[in-house]
Amino acid sequence: MADSSEFERYFKVIRDIQRAVHTQTRVREVLDIVVTKSTEILNAKGALIRILNNDTNQFEVRAACGLGNRYLHKGPVTTEKLIADPSNLHTVIVITDIWNAPRVEYPQQVWDEGIRMLLDVPLAIEDQLVGLIRIYLENKREFADSELDFIVTVAEECAGIIERVRLLERQQANFTHLATHVDKMSSLGRMAAGVAHEINNPLAGILLYSSNMRKKVPPDGPLAQGLQIIINETQRCKTIIQGLLDFSRDTEPNKAAADINDIMVSALGIADNEFKLKHVHIDKQLSKTMIQTLLDKNQILQVFLNILLNALQAVEENGRITVRSKLDDKHKQVVVEVEDNGCGISPNDIPKIFDPFFSTKSNGTGLGLAVSYGIIKNHEGNIQAYSEVGKGTRFVVEVPVLTKSSPGEESYETHSHSCH
Amino acid sequence: MKPIRILVIDDESVICDACELVLTEKGHRVDRCVTGRTGLHAIQQEEYEIILLDMKLPDIDGMEILQTVCRKTPVPRIIVMTGYSTMANAVQAMKLGAVDYLAKPFTEDELFSAIEKALARH
Repeated sequence: MADSSEFERYFKVIRDIQRAVHTQTRVREVLDIVVTKSTEILNAKGALIRILNNDTNQFEVRAACGLGNRYLHKGPVTTEKLIADPSNLHTVIVITDIWNAPRVEYPQQVWDEGIRMLLDVPLAIEDQLVGLIRIYLENKREFADSELDFIVTVAEECAGIIERVRLLERQQANFTHLATHVDKMSSLGRMAAGVAHEINNPLAGILLYSSNMRKKVPPDGPLAQGLQIIINETQRCKTIIQGLLDFSRDTEPNKAAADINDIMVSALGIADNEFKLKHVHIDKQLSKTMIQTLLDKNQILQVFLNILLNALQAVEENGRITVRSKLDDKHKQVVVEVEDNGCGISPNDIPKIFDPFFSTKSNGTGLGLAVSYGIIKNHEGNIQAYSEVGKGTRFVVEVPVLTKSSPGEESYETHSHSCH
Repeated sequence: MKPIRILVIDDESVICDACELVLTEKGHRVDRCVTGRTGLHAIQQEEYEIILLDMKLPDIDGMEILQTVCRKTPVPRIIVMTGYSTMANAVQAMKLGAVDYLAKPFTEDELFSAIEKALARH
């Protein structure tokens, strides 16, 4: 039986570990304290912590003390040999017969280190083995329940730390990804606006002179033909720049209550001719219980058209495009999906498809999906693509259900002007 | 179209040149300014039927020129030209008193029809 001074010693170790958790930022430093303190209090030769690396599925040494380098440099341990029995996840495994224990992978080296007894303490998070503390002792001895309890408590503490750190790492990775994306998008947007203005001015000169000269040359001659090409190509540049400006514009969408199904129906109507030319079958599965939400009809129409035309280009003759919509009550959003059975997008390309200027089409500007992305983000929604090469692609657009107009939202009166 | 007096205010001389060429060929009299300040001065000195105004000038903002000019009576017909072809810009310019809006680049026909439309307004 452990006396009160022993409990005090255990308590101090636990307290030290707890303090480390609160003051140390890196998990490695905490684990170092765990191995050092455990070795010390159990009067052991040393201790080792192995953590499961999810990428390689191997248990790798993360902290050690009291052990020779020769032993430590033995490779990582595979999962199979450690999980002999899942019911052992919350108990200490005592190994006294080093030569015949299946859990000991390098008995010779262990013996050479002067070790005669091992304690294995699994580190578990919700019945998942994530690591292992192994304690090495030079002399065989009995362990009191209080000592084993202490070791289990330390292990639980360790598992908790690992879980927290993993969660933090995941959140940080998500955040970093998002931050880079946002930054990339906004700096490109600023650049786009600047470039658009700088290029539109010289284009204005080109278009005025060429349209003027076009009328002065013989109408059917080679000069007229060449000038017409200059005029057409200049106007093509204007369209590309317009796309860039649409992409970079951070003005709020002009929202009004609308049924997203109606917008999809308009988009399908506009693209109808193209579908018919390619004999593409459209499968419409629009929700019968759709409600109205605040949307910029023109912008959402543009998004749907972009996605539909991409789908159209992805499918073969007689291909199939399925359009679905639903009301997601739980997340208070409307969801629209466009699925095709076309060529699919390669996993390498998937992360880039919403980047401006990324295109796999020879004549694409690479702005359609970038603009769509911006529009959906301005609606505080989400747009994502899921694809499998050879099977098809599914685009999912989610927009929150909003019912009240936010203050300060102003609806622009559209004036007609002659520049188109 | 009967000959009229037109002022072009744009800091890009290639645009002034081009507008001057296509408009003088139609018989109009064209003056040109490459800064907002000289443009404002010209408007005070002369009567123009049409002013073609670039929105981005090095010294004075196009919107500011619009505000100043539109206080004049009679209000000259101003057609705004800009490289940022956004609807919000157009709406703002119209609210300040511009009669029309040309998104750069534009053809000479687009320029002519904008001018004709502007003249028909009064």
